[in-house]
Amino acid sequence: MISRSVRGKVRGAPREANLKFAQSVWRPALAGFSIIVLFLAIAVWGQAPAANPPQDPLMTLLLSQPKIEIGSAVTAIAWFDPPVVRPGQLSFYRVTFNALEESIEWPKEIAAAPKLELRPGARGQFFQPTGSGTEPRTTFSYRAKTFEPGETTIPAFTVQVYGKRISVPAARLQVDANVAQAPAQQLILDITNTNLFVGQPVSVRVLLPSAAPGLLQVFTQMQLVGQGFIMDQGAAHQKMESMMRDGSNITVFIHDTMLIPVVAGKVNVFAQAFTVGQRIPHPTLTNNPATLTPTMPQFVLIESESTELSVKPLPRDGELPGFTGAIGTFSIDQPKLATNSMRVGDPVKLSVTVHATGFSRLVPPPAPKSADWQVLAATPQGEPAQMLQTRGVATFDYTLIPMSEGTHATPLIPFCCFEPSRAAYTDLTIPSLPITVLPGRAPVDMAAMLQSETNSNEIEEELTLSGLANIPGRRAATLVPIQGQAWFPAMQIAPIAIFLGLLGWERRRRYLETHPQILVRRRARRALRRERRTLRRAAQGGNVSVFAASAVRALRIGSAPHFPAEPGALVAGDILQLFRVADDDSRQPDGTLAVVRRFFAITDASRFSLASANPAELLILQPEIERVLAQLEARL
Amino acid sequence: MSGCEWRLFSRGTLAVLLALKLGMQKGFISWLSLLLVSFYPFFASEARGASHETLFRDGANAYRAADYETAAKILRESVLRYPASGTYQNLGLTEWQRSQPGPAVLAWEQSLWLDPFNQSARNNLRFARKAAQLDAPDLSWDEVISTWLPVNWWGWIVCLSLWLAFGAISIPIFLRRPKASWHQSIAAFGLMLFLLGLPAQFGVHKRERIGFVMEKGTALRLTPTLEAQTTSQLFPGEPVRCMRSRGEFLLVRSNRSTGWVQRKQLGFLATQPTGNPIVN
Repeated sequence: MISRSVRGKVRGAPREANLKFAQSVWRPALAGFSIIVLFLAIAVWGQAPAANPPQDPLMTLLLSQPKIEIGSAVTAIAWFDPPVVRPGQLSFYRVTFNALEESIEWPKEIAAAPKLELRPGARGQFFQPTGSGTEPRTTFSYRAKTFEPGETTIPAFTVQVYGKRISVPAARLQVDANVAQAPAQQLILDITNTNLFVGQPVSVRVLLPSAAPGLLQVFTQMQLVGQGFIMDQGAAHQKMESMMRDGSNITVFIHDTMLIPVVAGKVNVFAQAFTVGQRIPHPTLTNNPATLTPTMPQFVLIESESTELSVKPLPRDGELPGFTGAIGTFSIDQPKLATNSMRVGDPVKLSVTVHATGFSRLVPPPAPKSADWQVLAATPQGEPAQMLQTRGVATFDYTLIPMSEGTHATPLIPFCCFEPSRAAYTDLTIPSLPITVLPGRAPVDMAAMLQSETNSNEIEEELTLSGLANIPGRRAATLVPIQGQAWFPAMQIAPIAIFLGLLGWERRRRYLETHPQILVRRRARRALRRERRTLRRAAQGGNVSVFAASAVRALRIGSAPHFPAEPGALVAGDILQLFRVADDDSRQPDGTLAVVRRFFAITDASRFSLASANPAELLILQPEIERVLAQLEARL
Repeated sequence: MSGCEWRLFSRGTLAVLLALKLGMQKGFISWLSLLLVSFYPFFASEARGASHETLFRDGANAYRAADYETAAKILRESVLRYPASGTYQNLGLTEWQRSQPGPAVLAWEQSLWLDPFNQSARNNLRFARKAAQLDAPDLSWDEVISTWLPVNWWGWIVCLSLWLAFGAISIPIFLRRPKASWHQSIAAFGLMLFLLGLPAQFGVHKRERIGFVMEKGTALRLTPTLEAQTTSQLFPGEPVRCMRSRGEFLLVRSNRSTGWVQRKQLGFLATQPTGNPIVN
């Protein structure tokens, strides 16, 4: 007998087993969960001190800049500098806004008095310090000149700024031959050479002589203004020099830079910059006088005279292979090879040193294509162009891989430059160097593999502008397509008319085939007229036999279609019968039958009778026979 | 007018007068007079061609001397008198040197319009579009077909093939010739050319509506008024497709957006430099 406790144990055994199983699952799970939570907590705790991310340096730089005030009311100041000039003396008309340049919709033309010559000049933007921040100042400058004494005014006008209409006040220019006022301060633009080739660099000096001895005046934001050139900012540097001017030793601020024309033709260039104004514009007209702050230095936009450059394109004649835009004076040293003995497939470095002066860019010549060599393009050593210009030396490193054992020299690398002083190209081809190539360890099909790789990496076809066309080529009277021109649709009438004509001709032909007598009568009429003409000519010439024969033939021809019969088969009786039939309705004149009989009788007699007939008497019957023939023709 | 032109003109005019005189003497227009009269346009066109050749040479010389302003003026005059593919090619080069990409692209497109086989003009267009980052016109399939041959060839092909097919069918009937297989072959060939040429003709018609932006900063406006809001700016040389016109404004669709543009700011393929675009 099983006791209760034992029964209980027996009944409770599966429950304990379940519990143990549950514990064996949950315990490791809870332990793992706890470990993960612990690690996460440690990780979060460990990262807690780095909660503040570092600020973006660009944002820091932006925030450190002084605030630009663009919220204040926009005002415009307009003035002439100098305000009083002698006739023909240059004065600058300037309009300055306290607004960003991009926000101003400046008119293309300004209404001015006809006697005032006004040419557009510099325009620029400067951020004027205002104590707590900066305020944009945009200036538009014009060159004004007039020869007529008196006062000239540019009237007030409006300009859209930030989408609002802002009034530009009027400005007055006084022209007086007796007043000698100092001219407006200008920059001096000194360009060493004004006859250039495209891509040829030229040194540019922009000078600002101080307004007075002992005074140092500098400028900033210098720009060369014009189209068709680029200014090499990297080559720019400033300096100060002393020079004698009007008997005084004054300080000159000089900005040296380099200009490179990029298009051929006439290129106009002038310099502009901001400098602290030495002369307060007076009289100054403004639409808000309170904005003038005489205590603060006023930056004025000044400019130089315009200089015209004559830029020629590089000549196509004489251009040598390997021209990569190198313009200047160049020379190359003997190339250096890392080793002169190698195995097939081993790379070797070829270094070429180029010496250059007066250049703006130096691009290594492209790697040549050779069956015996794989040449990897030269890698410049990474110096900036300005450093190259300063040093005047550059080194190109080519990597050469021999592809066969039969190679005894490195490939020629075509290279050339254009020398503006000679206006000619100079050959700088990198020469070949002797080399020994030993059998390689690489598989024999390496050449093919490298070759295919070279093809796949082939340089994309370089697009260039073509030369001039030598002949005008295919022409047209107009660019409008022919279907758009009036004559072309009209011309289609011609084939339509031809086809309609053919259609009509065919229908007429079918009609005539069913009514052949029309053709017979038409032919008879034509032949009758012909005979009548012959008859008349014979009568005029007195040829009696021809006259009689023509008359008889005409009578036969005119009568034949009525039978129908061949004209030659008809005799006088047939023709007389025709007239008698016709006489049924209208009575024939008595002479008609007699005339017909008579003509036939005499002609038959002259043909068949032995007795001679006298046809001469027939001539007097010409009116009668004409009348008879007219009757016959009318019946056809 | 040069001496050569005068000589040719005077020669042609003299021939016509002589022919008329002969005709009057004989009482009828003789075959000779008809022949001479029919050759008069040839004389006149020869004179015009001579003038065109002179201008072409002068323009090329001015270009070589880097006097691009003069070259552009001369070449524009030349294409106004007698449009020619090579002249347009040189005009495009001149405008490109003058930093006028819009007129340059238009000139090269017009060069290809007259002669699609001009590879130089095609390369120049590719170069200009790559340099100025411009898109080529987005052409439909019928427009692409129409670029395969000179623009006037399609008109002639369609016209001649139609009449050839019609003639091959009808003329033997009129002439009461028995039907032959070669008649049917010619008719089928003509009909095939006609059907092939029709889409190209339609493509030519549609390409006439492709314009190119001529000026820098051309505004694409929301409405056809000068005071309208500017939705975007078009680049010089950018192609647009004209949809309709209203006054001096054209509704155009560029690759980016649609809007109104002033008519004078666009150049069209079928318009000579100072002409007006063809817009219905």
